[in-house]
Amino acid sequence: MMHLLLELLVVDDNPADVALISEALAGTKYHSKVTSVGDGVEALAFLYRRDKFVHAVRPDLVILDLNLPKRDGLAVLAAMKAGPDLRLIPVVIFSTSQLRKDIMRSYEMGANCYVTKPGNLNGFFSAIKSIEEFWFGFVNLPQKESNG
Amino acid sequence: MSSAGTKLGKQDCAAPQTKLRALLVEDNALDAALVLRALNKDGFEVAANIVQDEAEFTRSLRAHPPEVVLADYNLPMWKGMDALKVLRAEALDIPMILVSGALGDVTAVECIRQGATDYVLKDGLARLPEVVRRALREKQERSLRHQIEQDLALKVDELARSNADLEQFAYVASHDLQEPLRMVTAYTQLLAERYRGKLDESADKFIGYASEGAQRMQVLIQDLLAFSRVGRQETSSASVDCNDVLKEVLQSLAAAIAESGAVVTHSELPAVWADRTQVAQLLQNLIGNGIKFRGPEPPAISVLAEKADERWQFSVSDNGIGIAPEYAENIFIVFQRLHARTEYPGNGIGLAICKKIVERNGGKIWAESQPGSGSTFKFTLPGHGPEERIVAQ
Repeated sequence: MMHLLLELLVVDDNPADVALISEALAGTKYHSKVTSVGDGVEALAFLYRRDKFVHAVRPDLVILDLNLPKRDGLAVLAAMKAGPDLRLIPVVIFSTSQLRKDIMRSYEMGANCYVTKPGNLNGFFSAIKSIEEFWFGFVNLPQKESNG
Repeated sequence: MSSAGTKLGKQDCAAPQTKLRALLVEDNALDAALVLRALNKDGFEVAANIVQDEAEFTRSLRAHPPEVVLADYNLPMWKGMDALKVLRAEALDIPMILVSGALGDVTAVECIRQGATDYVLKDGLARLPEVVRRALREKQERSLRHQIEQDLALKVDELARSNADLEQFAYVASHDLQEPLRMVTAYTQLLAERYRGKLDESADKFIGYASEGAQRMQVLIQDLLAFSRVGRQETSSASVDCNDVLKEVLQSLAAAIAESGAVVTHSELPAVWADRTQVAQLLQNLIGNGIKFRGPEPPAISVLAEKADERWQFSVSDNGIGIAPEYAENIFIVFQRLHARTEYPGNGIGLAICKKIVERNGGKIWAESQPGSGSTFKFTLPGHGPEERIVAQ
């Protein structure tokens, strides 16, 4: 079966984590294209195709950290869920926090799932691979116009 | 309005004089003079204001706070006992002595019950100086006690605050350490995975050490967080049936019990006044230790409880390797371990958490043990909440 090129936006200020996510997804069958931005303001500029991101592609999935410079993950989530088109894009919160308050708040604001960053490499890789497998392998994503 | 008060100066007397600022509530000038003479005759050098109604009384109280109030019980416009209400409203702790022409025993007792310090009849004024002296003495003792109580409360507050600061620090520090450490762990593991056998033997070994160290530190930090969480969480105390809690604990230890062939027995356990989650953690840690530090025999653990005054005293005994008496206290300190990590895994956090839980719930914990003959951990917990205790009396 042919897989389309799937666009994944990673919003995380830690380049080490972004690199780990790319490592985890290298060589899987989904050929996800990973793009990353490092703070909440950039994330929104990317999603709204502003400034240097005018040619940005609409992502199929967003992996969003909570603790971000400038505007935090929850602010990005809120802005996404307030947009008529952006609200359709599934958002996976991917954060170190295990606090009940962060988890509850994320779901209240419409996050599609919440995953705590595992502390060891295997856990981290398998979390990212599972996210890709689930969202790009099993889930029916909101259809783009061309597919309708 | 009448005059704000009449000043009467000192009178001549041979005895060493104690200066006394008095406020007299008296409508009869002659009676006032008799009261002052009685005091002056017996060693007091009195500076007195004399007032007749509430407005004057309040004004004088504020302008010249007295050491003692001497009030007639019956005034035409005002009742002497009402002076007490004013003293209370002004939040002043000044002894008030009733001086009255006639005061029945029942009335006198009632006045004292309401807060008068004492009473003296006008035809027994010779008693007055001693009554005043005693009132002043008691007042002084009261102030001293109050001062000591305040100092103590302040110290307790300070201690609680610095304790809370420390807990907050431990929490924030360990929480923030997790993030960079996760990078170290992940990338040393990635190095190990990618480059095993591609560098040289030493490189593999070095990467292995770094990776192990980082992983161990992660566990340490998680333990530290678990420990500080016990101190940070609000304990919500309620009546907790320990039989139910034990049942749950045994369920979550089922794997360890099956694997070790442990037998856990218990008596009928009481209800205690404590935080349910914390009691469960306490029992789980103690029983878990009994299983972990086992001897050659399969673990046999018994959980018992007996009443000790207002509390319940629990004991969790095992037939394990035991603890030398000289370590019986150390084992409750954070990260104190008695055995090599290779013999018995763990970071030495379990008993520290137990101690914190028991103390936060108003009890004590200690260990009784000999090496080779098992250990018994004993702890106490209150049987009921504070309000029930009052009802019980």
